[in-house]
Amino acid sequence: MWVSLTGLYVGRVDSLRVLFDELRRSGYFVVGYRVVDGVLRLGELSSFDELAQGVEDVQGPGRYSLISGSFYRHGPDSPKKFLYPPYLTLFKVSSGWDVVVPVREVRRLAFFGLKPCDLASIKVLDRVLLGVDDYYESLRKNMVLIVENCTTPGNTCFCSTMNTGPRARDSFDLAYTRLGDKLVLEAGSVLGLKLLNVLEVEPIDDATYERFEATMRNASEKARAGFELNGLPEELELRIESKVYEKVTEKCLGCANCNMVCPTCFCFDVLDVPLIDGSAERVRVWDGCLNFTYGQVAGGHFRPDLWARYRHFVLHKFAYWVKQFGTFGCVGCGRCITWCPTGIDLRETVRSVLRGGKSG
Amino acid sequence: MGKYMTALTPLKATITRVRTESWNVRTYYVRLPEGVELPKPGQFNMLYVHGVGEVPISVSDLDVESRVVAHTVRFVGSVTKTFELLKEGDVIGFRGPYGIGWPMDVVTGKNIVLVAGGIGLPPLRPVIREVAKNRGMYGKLIILYGARTPEDLMFSYEYGDYESIPNTEFYVTVDRPSDGWRGNVGVVTNLIKHVDVNPSDSYAFVCGPEIMMRFAVQELLKKGFKTNKIFLSLERRMKCGVGLCGHCQMGPYFVCKHGPVFPLWFISRYFWVDQI
Repeated sequence: MWVSLTGLYVGRVDSLRVLFDELRRSGYFVVGYRVVDGVLRLGELSSFDELAQGVEDVQGPGRYSLISGSFYRHGPDSPKKFLYPPYLTLFKVSSGWDVVVPVREVRRLAFFGLKPCDLASIKVLDRVLLGVDDYYESLRKNMVLIVENCTTPGNTCFCSTMNTGPRARDSFDLAYTRLGDKLVLEAGSVLGLKLLNVLEVEPIDDATYERFEATMRNASEKARAGFELNGLPEELELRIESKVYEKVTEKCLGCANCNMVCPTCFCFDVLDVPLIDGSAERVRVWDGCLNFTYGQVAGGHFRPDLWARYRHFVLHKFAYWVKQFGTFGCVGCGRCITWCPTGIDLRETVRSVLRGGKSG
Repeated sequence: MGKYMTALTPLKATITRVRTESWNVRTYYVRLPEGVELPKPGQFNMLYVHGVGEVPISVSDLDVESRVVAHTVRFVGSVTKTFELLKEGDVIGFRGPYGIGWPMDVVTGKNIVLVAGGIGLPPLRPVIREVAKNRGMYGKLIILYGARTPEDLMFSYEYGDYESIPNTEFYVTVDRPSDGWRGNVGVVTNLIKHVDVNPSDSYAFVCGPEIMMRFAVQELLKKGFKTNKIFLSLERRMKCGVGLCGHCQMGPYFVCKHGPVFPLWFISRYFWVDQI
């Protein structure tokens, strides 16, 4: 685990362009947010000007819009889209039964301007996929993480509660914070230190430091979910038969948007695609526990009711994940709240379950 | 199991024989590809029909010398229905064996009660074979088996063999008798209370539809079996077999890798919860 190597430095906001260009020059595919159809989408950027600027995302349960502003958080995409693609051909079986595993070029990705919640999501995926998924691992090992600390969390954010933000504490290469036209920088790795050396920076002065701390403190207050993590897995499991799940899912459509936008949901389905030449491809595609077929077998169905599928989503993130991987599966990014077509609020679900008794 | 790009890659395997078990069930004998370890009782393999899909199928028999493994398949789903077209000499994709099977080491010297429902008998047949082969190593063997109708009974051609295993009792029942049926009628779980066995030195292995297993467990608990002496083989949707695709989760457990065979005490917190 990396930590801050440098302490805090201060530079100017326009040095972000220098940083971006330096990454491109070093051969990285830079991935950042750009505006597509009025939404922030993560994509590969060929120049700094493609990076979304002058916009702010307004998020709420079931609501997302972009207005002009100076700070944005995220859109529906998370790093998962690149590290664990929604559609990946695993291999091809020829008609003569030769199994051909595609050889893939290892790309060096640089995530630019990810928020701490998404940095945390990569740390969660590391626990699930490192040493397991060689595609993930090959990208992960060659990757640069430039993180932007979150000065103004949105209405669906709860990173403070999940201990994942609003300030990145470790596992980044370079973290920056925008304070007006000033930029506070911190390197978290040797590579980050090298990048820092490219920029015009100086050690942070007292006034900027105090402003930085105050900004982070205020941000932290804004990103709370109204429940505590301490004891949460057990408290939720004790209320495993809570009726809250049934009540909440009265307005659930079972669309699995929550699974798709979740930066840590890793479940996949396997498609066997027959091709015209007699061969067949095996493809890994994202699946989600809210999908009807998720718990279905030919002879029956283990979770025919929507509330049971939603309960699995909630308990997996906050209880089972801890047992399986030693960390929470939720990073508090709030995407599942924002992108839920009916605005079901995960924070409210957890609070309601906790308020209720064992069957309340 | 290693990285799953590799783990999900099937090996070529040849069907050496097909045996019809009932109107919608056949057993496919498959020669294990080289390098594949021999499955243990209760483990399963992923069988792949070219271009169609893959299904988890329990091992229902094993011939160690010829390395031929039996998989008993009921034609119910989009993949298993295409099994009907497969014949001797055909090639299928194979990966496995997966999962944790029946705890044969734990039951050495103990009595074993097998409770099987419908297509739940095939995963227990390797246990019967093992007891028959090493008869002195185990105590009394009691086999309780139920199916919906006499036409749904598996392996009826070898019930005589089961009965002739020394110190073994075999009871079979059907939910709905057809003409000419002279045996027991009723659900298999009803047989449990009539069994003469001392639960303190006995283990129960249960496999069948989940609802049947719940009733079986209730009867076994009433009989005095402790939760660490009841083992269940669970069924779930499985796409990977190695604990990654997520579909088989039962509470925090990945049934494919933490199971499919669980002692009841592992899962008792979740087993009774509706639609967990």
